[in-house]
Amino acid sequence: MPSMKHEDSGRSYWRSLEELADTPEFKTFMHREFPAGASELMEEDRRSFLKIMGASMALAGVGLAGCRRWPEQMVLPYAERPEGSAPGMADAYATIMELGGVATGTLATSYNGRPTKLEGNPDHPGSLGATTRYTQASILDLYDPDRSREPRIAREEKRTKATWDEWSSFSVDHFDALRSSGGAGFWILSEATRSPSIEAQQAELRSQFPKATWVAWEPLANTNEAEGLTEAFGIRVRPVHDLSKAELIVSFESDLLNIHPDVLNLSRDWAAGRRPDHGSMNRMLVVESSMSVTGSKADDRWAMASSRIPALVAQVASLILNDASLLPMPSSPAYAGTIADQLKAAAGKGAILAGPSQPAFVHRLVAMMNDALGNAGTTVSYIRENAESIRTASIKDLAAGMDAGGVETLLMLGGNPAYDAPADLQFAKGLSKVKVSIHLADQDNETSQLCTWHLNRSHPLECWGDARGWDGTYSVQQPLILPLFDGRSPVELLAQINASSSPAGFDLVRKSFNKVNGSGGLGESFDPAWRRTLHAGVLTGSTSATESLKTRGGGLENGARAAAAAFDGKGGGLELSFVAGSSVYDGRFANNGWLQELPDPITRLTWDNAVLIGPSTAKDLGVGTGDMVKVTAGGASVEAAVLVQTGTAPGTATLTLGYGRRFAGRICTGSGFDFYPLRRSDAMWFQEGASITPTGGSYQLGTVQDHFAIDSVGGKGTAARLPVLFREASIETYNHDPNFVRAGDHGAHGLSLWQAQQFDGAQYRWGMSIDLNACSGCSACVVACQAENNIPIVGKDQVLRGREMHWLRIDRYYRFQETSPGQYDTDQPLSVANQPLTCQHCENAPCEQVCPVAATVHSSDGLNVMVYNRCVGTRYCSNNCPYKVRRFNYFDYFRRDPMRETGLLQVQPDYYVKLQSGGDPLRRMQFNPEVTVRMRGVMEKCTFCTQRIEAAKIKTKNEWVKKPEAEKAAAKRIVIPDGTITPACAQACPNDVIVFGDLMDPDSRVSKLHANSRSYELLGELHVKPRNRYLARLTNSIQGELFPQDHSGGHGTSTDEHEESHG
Amino acid sequence: MMTTMPVDNTIEDPRHRSPLVLGHENFGTVTEEICWVNESPKPPKAWYVSLVISALAASMLLLMIGYLILTGVGVWGNNNPVMWGFPIVNFVFWVGIGHAGTLISAILFLFRQKWRTSINRFAEAMTIFAVICAGMFPGIHIGRVWLAYWLFPIPNQMDMWPQFRSPLLWDVFAVGTYFTVSLIFWYIGMVPDLATLRDRANTKVKAIAYGIFALGWRGSMRHWHRYERAYLLLAALATPLVLSVHSVVSFDFAVSQLPGWHTTIFPPYFVAGAIFSGFAMVMTLAIPAREVWGLKNFITMRHLENMNKIILVTGSMVGYAYSTEFFIAWYSGELYEQFAFINRAFGQYAWAYWIMVSCNVLVPQVFWFKKARTSIWLMFIVSLLVNVGMWFERFVIVVTSLAQDFLPSSWGYFTPTWVDVCTFIGSFGLFMTLFLLFIRYLPVLAMSEIKGVMPAADPHAEHHEPVDTLGQEVQE
Repeated sequence: MPSMKHEDSGRSYWRSLEELADTPEFKTFMHREFPAGASELMEEDRRSFLKIMGASMALAGVGLAGCRRWPEQMVLPYAERPEGSAPGMADAYATIMELGGVATGTLATSYNGRPTKLEGNPDHPGSLGATTRYTQASILDLYDPDRSREPRIAREEKRTKATWDEWSSFSVDHFDALRSSGGAGFWILSEATRSPSIEAQQAELRSQFPKATWVAWEPLANTNEAEGLTEAFGIRVRPVHDLSKAELIVSFESDLLNIHPDVLNLSRDWAAGRRPDHGSMNRMLVVESSMSVTGSKADDRWAMASSRIPALVAQVASLILNDASLLPMPSSPAYAGTIADQLKAAAGKGAILAGPSQPAFVHRLVAMMNDALGNAGTTVSYIRENAESIRTASIKDLAAGMDAGGVETLLMLGGNPAYDAPADLQFAKGLSKVKVSIHLADQDNETSQLCTWHLNRSHPLECWGDARGWDGTYSVQQPLILPLFDGRSPVELLAQINASSSPAGFDLVRKSFNKVNGSGGLGESFDPAWRRTLHAGVLTGSTSATESLKTRGGGLENGARAAAAAFDGKGGGLELSFVAGSSVYDGRFANNGWLQELPDPITRLTWDNAVLIGPSTAKDLGVGTGDMVKVTAGGASVEAAVLVQTGTAPGTATLTLGYGRRFAGRICTGSGFDFYPLRRSDAMWFQEGASITPTGGSYQLGTVQDHFAIDSVGGKGTAARLPVLFREASIETYNHDPNFVRAGDHGAHGLSLWQAQQFDGAQYRWGMSIDLNACSGCSACVVACQAENNIPIVGKDQVLRGREMHWLRIDRYYRFQETSPGQYDTDQPLSVANQPLTCQHCENAPCEQVCPVAATVHSSDGLNVMVYNRCVGTRYCSNNCPYKVRRFNYFDYFRRDPMRETGLLQVQPDYYVKLQSGGDPLRRMQFNPEVTVRMRGVMEKCTFCTQRIEAAKIKTKNEWVKKPEAEKAAAKRIVIPDGTITPACAQACPNDVIVFGDLMDPDSRVSKLHANSRSYELLGELHVKPRNRYLARLTNSIQGELFPQDHSGGHGTSTDEHEESHG
Repeated sequence: MMTTMPVDNTIEDPRHRSPLVLGHENFGTVTEEICWVNESPKPPKAWYVSLVISALAASMLLLMIGYLILTGVGVWGNNNPVMWGFPIVNFVFWVGIGHAGTLISAILFLFRQKWRTSINRFAEAMTIFAVICAGMFPGIHIGRVWLAYWLFPIPNQMDMWPQFRSPLLWDVFAVGTYFTVSLIFWYIGMVPDLATLRDRANTKVKAIAYGIFALGWRGSMRHWHRYERAYLLLAALATPLVLSVHSVVSFDFAVSQLPGWHTTIFPPYFVAGAIFSGFAMVMTLAIPAREVWGLKNFITMRHLENMNKIILVTGSMVGYAYSTEFFIAWYSGELYEQFAFINRAFGQYAWAYWIMVSCNVLVPQVFWFKKARTSIWLMFIVSLLVNVGMWFERFVIVVTSLAQDFLPSSWGYFTPTWVDVCTFIGSFGLFMTLFLLFIRYLPVLAMSEIKGVMPAADPHAEHHEPVDTLGQEVQE
C-alpha cells in the first residue's frame, strides 16, 4: 500500500470540485468540518490509518458480538419505517396477561417501542375488550423502580449482586450433576400457569430429571372447587359459566364480580342481565360472611359465617335433590327454603356458584344442584383440565420434604411462598435447609432474600410466552420491549436448565404454538397461522370443548355431618375469614402504586388493610375503627387495626390478605398488616376459635370516604339525601312507573335570567351515560383512567389529607333499614350503592364562572376543558364544583415518592432530594405522551379523554377531505361514527356501564340512554346541566320494593320542562 | 407635661357637651404631648419588647412563605373538599379588621362625629396594615405564586384578560381600590402633622424625612382650605368603599353555589361583621397604647365607651344575621341548605360554631351595662374575644361549608398544619411590627384635628357654658 502522503495515488472520487482542485480553501474547510483528527487523516501514515480503522471496528460492535451464551433476540427500532407506521403514533400489539394460571387477552399500546397502556383484546374470549384493574395496573409493574435489576447470590453470610454469566456457569455444572442423579431432591415450585410452553418444558424436565417433583402454589387458588368437581364428576374439570342466560344467580361466598379468574365474563354476563329495558332482570342471591363486591350487588344478601354456609348449602341441596341424607341439620336458617324455592322456580335458567372458601363438599353439591336443575349445559358447562405432565405434589409435601432435608435443589418460578405460604408450614425455616434454592422473581422479595440464588424475571411485556384462558383459548404473549433489566422468563429458565438447544423464548413459544396449532411442523400453513395469532391475540379454534358430564351421587354423609357440626359452632370464639385484597390480590401487586392507592370498592380503604368487624361485633369487643387489636388464632397472633364494616357476619372478622410486605419496596413498605401468619394449611379460608383483644393503640386508616356514624348529623344528612343522589327502585316499581326517577325532581329548571350559552356552531355535543344498575364497583375504570391520563399517586399521608388525585372515583353509600324513627340497623345494609363519578362536563359549569384567570373554559363541543398552562391554582373552581371531582396538585407528586410518615413533618415532602434526581426516569417511561404531566399548583380533572376525542376527530377529518365535494356539501357536519371514541374508563369496563358519544347524533347510544326513562342528572336541580347522566339502579329483591318511602308522594313529575332545558 | 385629675367625661348631660380632650387648654401642650411619642429619646420598654416579638413573628412569616413557595401549597392543611383553609379565613379576617379605620375616618367624619379625631389616625394605620396582611394571603394561597400577576388586568403577549365573571377578580379590584384610597386618605390627613414633626425635628435626617412627606406644608390659609376640601372629597370617596370592599369579599362566597355560602344576606352581614371586628381591633390596640404612651387625655373613656356601643350594636347585627341564616335555611325547604346550617351548629365543627356565637353575640351583650362599657379590663377582654370570635366566624363560613357540601362521599375534615398556624401568627407579627413602627415614627394622633375639637378652637367660646361644669380645672 502506498503511503497516504503520496497525494497522487489512487484517489478516483472527489467530494466536490474544490477537492479536485485541492485548493487551500478546501483544506481549511476540511479542518473546520472535522476539527479533531483531520490533520492526521490528511497527513498520517499507514500505521495510524490501521490504528484508527481498528478502533472504528471495535466501536462498531464487532468486538461486542459473541459474548452471550444464548442467542440474542433483539426487539429493534425500525431502521426503515414500514408502511402504515409513523413515529409518535401509537401501535397496539396483542398479548396476554396471566394471573393465577388464567390468561386474559390484552392489547398493549406502544409509542415508539415504549409500552404505555394495556387494553382488553376484543378478540379474546376472556377479555372481549375489557380489562381488570390488575391488567390495567400491570403496565406500572414494568416500570417499577423496585424491580430486581440483576441476579443475586448468597455467598457465605452475604448476599451480593451476580451476573447471568455467573448463574450460567453455576447452573450448567449444578444441573448436569443433578441430571446424572436423575433429579433426586430436585423440586420445582411454580405459580399456577397454563402455558403450553411451560408444559412442554415440564415434559422435558420429566425425561431429564425423572425424580424431580413439581409443586404449583397459588395462595388464592380455588383448589376446593377443583377437588369438589373431581369428586362430582370423577375427572378434573373446570366450570365455565354463561351468566347471560341466568335469570337467577346464587353465590355461596363466591366473589364472582370481583375476584374470580374469569371475572370479566362473569361480570359482563351478570350486567347483561341487568338491562331492565328488555322487560325483566336477573336476580342475584348471595350468602357470605363479609361484604364483598358481589354481595354489595346482590338483590338479596344474607351474612353468615363461612363455616356455617356448608350446612345451608346442604339444606338447600336436600330440598333440590330430595336427598334426606343431607339433613342431619339441627336447625337451619329459614332462607334455605327461600333459596331452594327460587332455584327451583328458575330451573334451567339459574346458576349456582361457590367461592374458594367453601369446602369441596359444597362445590360438589353445587355441581349436583346445577345438574339436577338443568342449569348445567346452559348457564354452566365444564371443560377438561389438562393432565399433569410431571409428578406433582402440594406445598405441604414440599414443606415436609424441606423439613426432612430431602429437598436439595428448589427452583421457584415466581411466587413468594416465604410470604404467602400457610404459616404452619414454616416455609422460611424449611427453605434454610435447602442446599440450593433458586428464585426467579420480579422483585428481590421475601423469598428471594432467603434463597441461594435470586434471578430477575422479565415482565410479561418483555418476553415471549403463551398461555390458555379460562375457557382454554390459546394465546401468545409477545414482547414489546427488550428486557429493561435483562431478566428471563420462567420458560427460558426452564429451557436453560433442560439444556435446550434453543433456549430463546421466541423459539420455545413458536414450537409450542406449532404443537397446539396441530400443524406439527413448519408446513405451508404455519406462518400465516402464527402471524394471525400474533395479530389477533388468539389462536382460532383453540378453545376447549365443553364436556357433557353427569354428577355422581352418594358418599355425601360425611360432608353433611361435618357441615352440621360446623353449623353448631363448636369451634367457639370468633371466626376469621381470609379474603383476597381487592387491590393487591394475594400481595403480588403490593408494590404497585396505582393499586395501593386504589380504594377498596367496599371499605374505600387505601394503602392498608384492616380487620373488618361488623358493628355489633365491634361493640361487643369494645373496639372501633382505627383501634389496634391483637388477633390470635391457632397459636399465632397479629396486631392490626380494626375497620368497622357493615355487612360482616356477626361473630366473624374478615382479614384481607396481601398487605404487610417486608421486602423494602418503596410502595409497599409499611402498608397494612400481614395476616398470612394466621393462615394455616388446615384452615386456608376461615378459622374458628380466634380471639381479638384491643391493645390500646390506634392507627390512622386512609379511607377516601369518611365514615359518618348513622346517628351523627352527617349520617342523618347522608341518609336524607341519598334517595335524591342515588336513585333506585325495585323492578316492580319501575315497571309500574318507568318515570319513577323523575319523581323527586323539581320543575322549571330551564328558567334562566340570561341567555344561556348556546352551542349552535358546535359540531359535536359530547355526553356520557353511566348505568348504576350494571356497575359492580370493580374499579378497573379508575386504574384505566390513571394509566391513560398520567394521574399521580399521592401516598397515604396525602390520602389522609384528602388529596387523592383520581379523576374518576366510585362513591359508595349504604342505606340501612330504619327500625324506628332515627334508629337504623347498621349491622346489615339494605342496599349498597356504587356511583362512579367523573367530571360531569356541565354546560352551565359552576367552575368556569369563578375562575379569575379563565383557566377552565368551555369548548364548543361542550367539554369543560382545563387549561393547565393558564391555571394559577386559586382552587375556587373546586370549591364551586358540587360534584367535587376536581383535583389539585398540592405538591409535585411526580417528583416525590409517596410517603407514609405522619406527625409534625407529615407535610414535608422529600421535594428537594427529588428535585435533583428529577423523579424516577424509569417511572416516566409509562407516561402517555398524549397527555400533559401536570406540575404542582395546578388543578386537573376528567377530560372525557380529550386526547382520544381529538385523535378521532383528526382521523375523521382526514378521511373527510378525501370525500367527493358533492357529498361534503350535502352533509351538515362531519359525523364521527358512534362508538369510535371510547374513553379509557369505558374501554376497561366489562359491564358496559359507561357509554360515551355524541348527543348531537340522535341515534347514538348515549343519546338513547339519555332519553331512557331511568336516566337522571345528579344534582340536576342546581341547573348546572351536566352532560353526564346516570341510569337509576333497579333492585330485584324477593321482598319487592326496598324503598317504598322514596317513591310515595314526592314533588310530582316535571319531565317535560326538565327535558326541554336540555334539548 | 401637665398632670390632670381624673375626669369622668362619660356622663351624658344634655346641657353640656362632654369634653373630648382632657387636661389641656392650649394647643401647645397638645402638640407637646402627642409629639412626645415620636420625640422622646427612648421609647418605653414595652415598645421594645413588643417590637422584638413582633419582628420575630414577622420573620417567621417570611420563612413560612419561603417554605410554601419552594414546596407547594400542600404544606398547608387544605384538602380536597376544603380547598380554602386558613389563608382565605385569614384574608377575610384581616380585610374585616381593615374596615374600622376608614369607617371611623370617613363615615364618622361625614357625620360630624367629633370623637373620631382621637382615634382615626391609628385606626386608619391599622386599616392599612391589616389590608397589607389581608392582601398577602390570596397572593400566596394560589398554587403557582409566581403567576399571581395573571389576576391583574395587565396587557400581555398572550392576549389574555382575567375572567371578569369571577368574584376573585372583583376582590382584586375591591381590595386594591380600598387599599389605595385608604392609603391616600390616611396620608393626606397626616400632612399637617408631618409638617409639625418636621418643624420640631432635632436631627437632619428627621427634618429631611418628615420634610419630604410633609409636601411643603406651610399651614397657610390656602393650604388649609385645599386640605380640607381634599379631605372631605376623599372621605366621600372612601365611604362607599367601606361598604363595597367587604360586600365584594362576601361575593366570593355568596356568588358560589355552595350551601352555606350561597346566601343573599352576606354583603350586609359581612360589612356589619367587618365593622364589628375592626372596632374590636381598634380597642385591642388603643387600650394598651394609651396606657403605654400616656394618651389618656386624648383617647378618653368617652371614646372607648362610644366604641363599645358600636361593638354592641354591630355584634347584635351579626347575631341577627346568624339567626336569619338559620331561618332562611329552614324556610327555603332546601335539603342541602338546611343541612349546612344544622351541621354548622351540631355537626363536626360545632365547637367552632359555638365559639363564634359566644364570642360575637353573647360576650358583647355585657356592654348594655355602663359599668362594663367603662371598665378598661373588661372591654379589653371583650375586644380580644370579639377578635377570636370574628376569626372563627370566617373559619365557620369557609371551612364548614366546604367540608360537607352536596355529595357525602366527598366530605372531609380540615386540620391545619403547623405551617398554617405559624403563617397566621406571622401575619400578626407583620401587622404589629408595622403598627409599632407607626406609633414611634408617625404622628399617632391627628394633632391638627384634635385641636379643632377643643374648646380653645372655638372662637365663640364665650357664648357657651364654661367647660368646668364637670369639675375640670379652668386655666387661663
